[in-house]
Amino acid sequence: MRLILLDNSNEIRGNFYPLALSRPLWELRCGFNSLGQKLIDKVGANDVAYFVPDYMADSYRGKVEWPVNDSSVLDGDDLLIVDPRVKAESFDVTANPDKIGSEVGLDEQGNVLYARIAKDDLAKLPLAPAVTRVQARDEVGKLIAEAKEKLPNIRSALPRWQYIWDLVLANAEQITADFAAAGQHGIEGTVEQPNAIRGNKKDVYIAPGTIVHPMVVIDAEHGPVYIDEDAQIHSFTRIEGPCYIGKKTILLGAKCREGNSIGPFCRIGGEVEESIIHGYSNKYHDGFLGHAYVGEWVNLGAFTTNSDLKNDYSAVSVILDGRRAIDTGSVKVGSLIGDHVKTSIGTLFNTGSYVGPMALIMATGKPLPKFITSFAWFIEGVVTKGFGKGKLYEMAKMAMSRRDCQWTKTEQTMWDAVFEMTAPIRNQAIKKSRRAMLNR
Amino acid sequence: MATVEERVKAVTARVLKLDPDEIKPEDSFTADLGAESVQSIELVAMFEEEFGIEMEEDAALSVETVGKAAEFIAQVCKEQGVVTDVS
Repeated sequence: MRLILLDNSNEIRGNFYPLALSRPLWELRCGFNSLGQKLIDKVGANDVAYFVPDYMADSYRGKVEWPVNDSSVLDGDDLLIVDPRVKAESFDVTANPDKIGSEVGLDEQGNVLYARIAKDDLAKLPLAPAVTRVQARDEVGKLIAEAKEKLPNIRSALPRWQYIWDLVLANAEQITADFAAAGQHGIEGTVEQPNAIRGNKKDVYIAPGTIVHPMVVIDAEHGPVYIDEDAQIHSFTRIEGPCYIGKKTILLGAKCREGNSIGPFCRIGGEVEESIIHGYSNKYHDGFLGHAYVGEWVNLGAFTTNSDLKNDYSAVSVILDGRRAIDTGSVKVGSLIGDHVKTSIGTLFNTGSYVGPMALIMATGKPLPKFITSFAWFIEGVVTKGFGKGKLYEMAKMAMSRRDCQWTKTEQTMWDAVFEMTAPIRNQAIKKSRRAMLNR
Repeated sequence: MATVEERVKAVTARVLKLDPDEIKPEDSFTADLGAESVQSIELVAMFEEEFGIEMEEDAALSVETVGKAAEFIAQVCKEQGVVTDVS
């Protein structure tokens, strides 16, 4: 059986911006790892293929071991095609069609949640050979349409992730579940004394290579703490469970409250609560980050702080597309920060802020607008073209080289596409800002 | 109609809060007029608004003096079909 993760239309993917602008939905994280890894583990797949939006295919191909947008994978084996928004823990569909046959699971609107297609049934679903890889995503779309028409349909109530903040809100619970699934506890790394572990020691795992300096508190009373390999936990750090600290992450006297998934390769100080932080991002200094989702290669300057709770305790709204506010239904939502964002010292993000990838933020001393477009140079309270995207690329390249990572041509091509996709909203913001500048 | 250079001086004076009569073509935006990097960005934005043009950021921000800015903008206007001639 081959598991195929097929990304959604841009309309649906927009619910997971700004992170999804630069990655397929299954690369979003919750708990210990990505949504994709959870589906792979759940299904027990050892053969996987991906179909992503065309503009990110080349870049993504360089990051994963399985085929990307290669329509040849649509033949030769039983297929299980899954919408990556389906929650893995609820995915109870039998993957192997051997005895039960093919089946297409539909939600109440008739959208395909999954398609299990036996190899023999593939012959019933004529598939024009893809001429290029660019067309491959269309091919799998056609295959699913054919499958829906010709194979048995069943109504499915599988729950799905709807918005990016759902992942943040579910993170603490997911960490607890992932800790239980990992089945590891105990200290395999080095814990220098004196140290304090509160709660049940079975709820703590410190992986080999990790060093916990003296005067660290690990509080597992309300949830498990998993510190992955080669991390460094500096003195005066307090980690409250549920919490996952990724490989080679450094906590610098951090107040690491419950519900965090951080790393790998992050450097985190200050206060962080109920947040997901992708790899290679830094929040070295003091400042509060709560109920936030932060992409990779982000640098948050000293005293960068976000609000995650409104003074009137009402539900937080978020603007994902630059136009329309969406009621999250939650009273706690912090910032959604895209890849390669950089903030200056003293940046203040309002409750439910959206910061597009590659944005560069200079603080104004006041909470910033709730929507800051991708590639914005946000300076003196307005969106400008700044020094342009070339300079942003230079900075990204520099940041990556400092961690022995490479800025590749395919990555730049993907970011060029993101720049074009987000141009209309950015240009509007620039125009509005120009008017504000003229009126100063 | 003012010349390109006069309009460049006027914008520069407004952004940097200077007297336009004190601005000379050979003045460096940074060394002589005290423009910081943030103000340079604002200057480029305001030149684009003033002349109705789009400038390539790197090239625009590499221009050092008021006179060179006027030449650069005149060239961009020409390339983009924006009329700047004095009648």
